Amino acid sequence: MPISILPPAVQVPIHDDAAAEDSDIEMSDDENDFAPTSKKSSHNIVTPGETITTDPQWMRGHGTYIPPSSTTIISTVAGTLHKTNKLLSVQPLRARYNPEIGDLVIGRIVSVQTKKWSVDIAGPMLASLPLSAINLPGGILRRRTAVDELNIRTFFSEGDLLVAEVQSLHSDGSASLHTRSLKYGKLRNGMFTALSGAGGGILSRRGGIVRSRRQVFTLQTASGEISVILGVNGYIFVSKHTEGKEGKETSITKLEESVSETLYSSQNDELDPGILKEIARVSTLIKGLVACGTKVDEDMIVRVYETAVDMEAEQVSMGEKLIDTAGGPKGVVQSVLARLQGGS
Amino acid sequence: MPPSQAALVSLSPAELSYLRSTLLQVPPIRLDHTKGPKDFRSMRAEYDVLPGANGSARIALEDGLEALVGVKAEVEKSQWRPTPAGRASRLSVAAGDVEMKDGDEEDDGQGKGQVSWVEMSVEIPGFRDDDALPVFLASMLTESLLSSGELKDRLYINSRFHWKLYIDILLLSPALSYPLALLSMTTHLALLTSRLPALKSEKDEDPLFDDDWDASVPLYPKEKGKGTGSKPVDRPPVIVLAMAIGQNIIFDPCKEELAVADAVLAIACSSSKTSSTGSRIISIRTIDPPSHLTPPGVPNSMNSATGGVAPASSADALTQRELLATSGVWTPPRGGMKRGLIGQVVKMVVETGGVAEEVIDALQAIEVG
Repeated sequence: MPISILPPAVQVPIHDDAAAEDSDIEMSDDENDFAPTSKKSSHNIVTPGETITTDPQWMRGHGTYIPPSSTTIISTVAGTLHKTNKLLSVQPLRARYNPEIGDLVIGRIVSVQTKKWSVDIAGPMLASLPLSAINLPGGILRRRTAVDELNIRTFFSEGDLLVAEVQSLHSDGSASLHTRSLKYGKLRNGMFTALSGAGGGILSRRGGIVRSRRQVFTLQTASGEISVILGVNGYIFVSKHTEGKEGKETSITKLEESVSETLYSSQNDELDPGILKEIARVSTLIKGLVACGTKVDEDMIVRVYETAVDMEAEQVSMGEKLIDTAGGPKGVVQSVLARLQGGS
Repeated sequence: MPPSQAALVSLSPAELSYLRSTLLQVPPIRLDHTKGPKDFRSMRAEYDVLPGANGSARIALEDGLEALVGVKAEVEKSQWRPTPAGRASRLSVAAGDVEMKDGDEEDDGQGKGQVSWVEMSVEIPGFRDDDALPVFLASMLTESLLSSGELKDRLYINSRFHWKLYIDILLLSPALSYPLALLSMTTHLALLTSRLPALKSEKDEDPLFDDDWDASVPLYPKEKGKGTGSKPVDRPPVIVLAMAIGQNIIFDPCKEELAVADAVLAIACSSSKTSSTGSRIISIRTIDPPSHLTPPGVPNSMNSATGGVAPASSADALTQRELLATSGVWTPPRGGMKRGLIGQVVKMVVETGGVAEEVIDALQAIEVG
């Protein structure tokens, strides 16, 4: 069926995450101490500038503001209202990534300057990657020279994807990146996916990538290993796993060779059709997971991927339709999640 | 900061090369692996969303692209024009007619409707209304809409008055991919569900309308026979986007897929008049794919950072590129589309049970259901 047109989605009642997940939070039961501006029917969604309450007993949290010489609490973002005892905070529906030191991020080069690159990391400001913070070919920790400055485009040029770590933060909130590790560098042999939504941050409870121990992992598939890189900023790269990039330790003397060989290549290896298909499947599933508002982490991706493969195999052998393809990635993941919940 | 151009490609050469290799597979592996080459992105549609308009529709695609169309009709005084009887003397009279000079084509056989009775505006966030993209989209949509001439004839009330149709198309989301197909489908749905008040006056009287909205007549009249098969006699056209990559043909490409396309075709079609199945083509236009503007990838052998030797001159670089045999390097596509491939696309669109019929029937089903 080439085209599927569905009726508009019925409004999903937003269940209060705080009540469902965090049982240690004491909810305020009586609605009477709230100003009439926050109606219960509006699913507790507030818009920027909306008065949440005028009652001085409440404290303001994230995403709120008290104008000087008043007790009115005003929302500064569009999002859902959360009450933690007497603290009011608004969790934004969508937020940009707020960089923190040590975060693994995926970025795209926006512009090349004389001694640094500007990198889009989905944050409020572009990050910078100085020429001195990359592994230069031809030796470890070599000082950059004037020749390197002239050849800056041979390392990264506009549009290139790279994986890096946040090294430092400037006072204006912009980040400075580095790629001084063999884990980091240019990305190729794969597919890029960007998630929108509240990436990173403490408040992001629905969807998005969670800061976790393992953000780079490999996935076993029928046609080879796939490596998945989950950038904290919501950018994801799914690619063919190449040996030697991580895993086996490169000795300090061999570093030179491995750096000069393929680190700055923009040429793809030979990829066989099987692995192309699996990469497409993984990135579609990740998109579906986000559309369903599920957390994206290693455990979830592995479970959903394996179940999806199983279900497809069953579908082929049994001949009955198990996966709903009409709804796009979201529909697929919904049917997979339904199976996961039914099984466990 | 609004973008100056229509969504410039910002993909790395490695990604472009990767995408191309997936789409060149037989069958092509699309970005969304659940979709086949003929599959459209799933969408959610509703109509009669704007209370003040004669007809309106909203369609949202799964990837966030969303369009809203409102159709508003107004009674307008017609410019005096000679009656069909006095057509012989028309050339001499029409010389002073302002309306005729506006590049309006000669009217069709019925000779009542005028092209200027339909006004279309396309609004895309981040674009000025005189930017190339909205203007081009609006002209393509108007062109296919007016080509049959039946719509403008239906706007005729009497010799002194006519309906003026304002079609306002609004893209609610940023132009993530080329929005032509979405805008066309939304316009189709809005026009299909548009209704005009029923006329009570007769002939050349000042028009008087029935204020009962239930008595209103649809802009695209339905067949008289009531029952399950109440198909409209005429349906507005719809534009589908097809792209070619190698020997593969892909319909409804997304932004990333467009970025590696060899050629892109916009095919306007409407339901066939002679038979109940199949459809006919109104127009075909080629669209310049953004892939032509992408920079080529640098092969390892020419990259000094990967142990290669950078070419001495740009001429040298060109020669080396031409001799390049490796497949993993992105090279922007050159040339257009082969005739055989165009024929194949046209066949896939118009054949019985083809893409156009599926789209038109799916949009029709929304109104019925």
